Amino acid sequence: MSSTFESHLHALQKEVDVLVGVSPDAPLSGLPQWDSLAILLVISHFEHAYKITVTGQEIRQCKTIRELIQLIPQS
Amino acid sequence: MLTTLSHFRLAGLAVSTGSDTRDFIKDGLAHGIGLAHLERVAKTIGLKERKVASPGVTALDLCEDATRRLLAAMDIDVSTIDVIIFVTQTPDHSQPNNACLLHGRLGLAKSSIAFDLSLGCSGWVYGLHQAGLLCAHGGAGRVLLCSGDTLSRLTHPQDSSMDPLFGDAGSAAIVERTGTPTPWYFVLGSDGKLSATIKVPAGGARLPASTETRVESKDSNGNVHHAENLMMDGAEVFNFSLREVPAAINTVIKNAAWQLADVDALVLHQANKFIIENIATKCGLKAAHVPSNLVEKYGNQSSASIPAALIEGLGEKLANRSQKIVGCGFGVGLSWAAFASEIGPVITCPIQPYPLK
Repeated sequence: MSSTFESHLHALQKEVDVLVGVSPDAPLSGLPQWDSLAILLVISHFEHAYKITVTGQEIRQCKTIRELIQLIPQS
Repeated sequence: MLTTLSHFRLAGLAVSTGSDTRDFIKDGLAHGIGLAHLERVAKTIGLKERKVASPGVTALDLCEDATRRLLAAMDIDVSTIDVIIFVTQTPDHSQPNNACLLHGRLGLAKSSIAFDLSLGCSGWVYGLHQAGLLCAHGGAGRVLLCSGDTLSRLTHPQDSSMDPLFGDAGSAAIVERTGTPTPWYFVLGSDGKLSATIKVPAGGARLPASTETRVESKDSNGNVHHAENLMMDGAEVFNFSLREVPAAINTVIKNAAWQLADVDALVLHQANKFIIENIATKCGLKAAHVPSNLVEKYGNQSSASIPAALIEGLGEKLANRSQKIVGCGFGVGLSWAAFASEIGPVITCPIQPYPLK
């Protein structure tokens, strides 16, 4: 895993409480609290940390944390 | 639309809320939702209690109560009111409009005009813009601007994603022509392509209410609703708010030739604490005074929330001196409107439930 990936993962888990301790490849659909509130927290985090806008639909299509992080453009 | 108006002032404000109190945690537990989930939502979104209208009470009644209290506090004779603007999406009837009904209840002169604006959470600023325009250029000396809704009646009690959000309230504001050229900077906009983002599908001419439109369905999260309920795509509303509101706010501040540090208060539509804090951060206005706790006492009060935030969020400061205030309403339409001006002193009445128990 790259250090960039690790730093994105760390930042995401800091802002979105329900992702704390979840493996990057675990299915998000298995998390009971992966809900509309969690999606808002992801949108807010991406907006402020990376200045990018992701839609609720884009987030819902991600099956894992790894796929969420792949929404962040590589610099 | 970008515009600057002057020669009017906001002279008085009052808000009346519904008189029944709903408790977010207690209601959630009663609907079988887990305590941990409720506490997480309460903390992040800022939900605690909300005030909803008691049976039979409408937005018209709430606005009438706010108006009568305000007129008494300001010692205004109804014969001096030239215009009533009533902002609502939950009128008493499809015809006639709420403004004419209130005109009759208050006994205004036949020479005064009365019309509704069909807008929600952006509506108070639209009403203020229209009131200012009528004072500055339309021959009005005094405008009564009412705004409010009973949105709590539009959500399904078993929809935990929508039902806990909304309270019921009605506001009254007095806007007057003045000889002082204090400028008001406005930015107003709409995005009709996103109209389905916040919607009540049935009950209008396109899809009249019927037994079919009350057939309930359950979504993947177990929330129940039917076609006469208020529906909202929360993620898209949030993205819309972060896209349009900070841009509108920064534009009015720039047009006023203010620096961010000049702003005494940022008064946003009180959708919820999470949205307000996100907008303030994106505008770079976290250091300004930004009222964000009204929703935990009253719920989302639609077009009455900015008056409520001005009254309770600014309190004595608004009553005693003028302040540089930036405000923005945003919501159903989709629609938004921002203003920047030096406002005050303003006569305010405390937020009060109607009917008083």
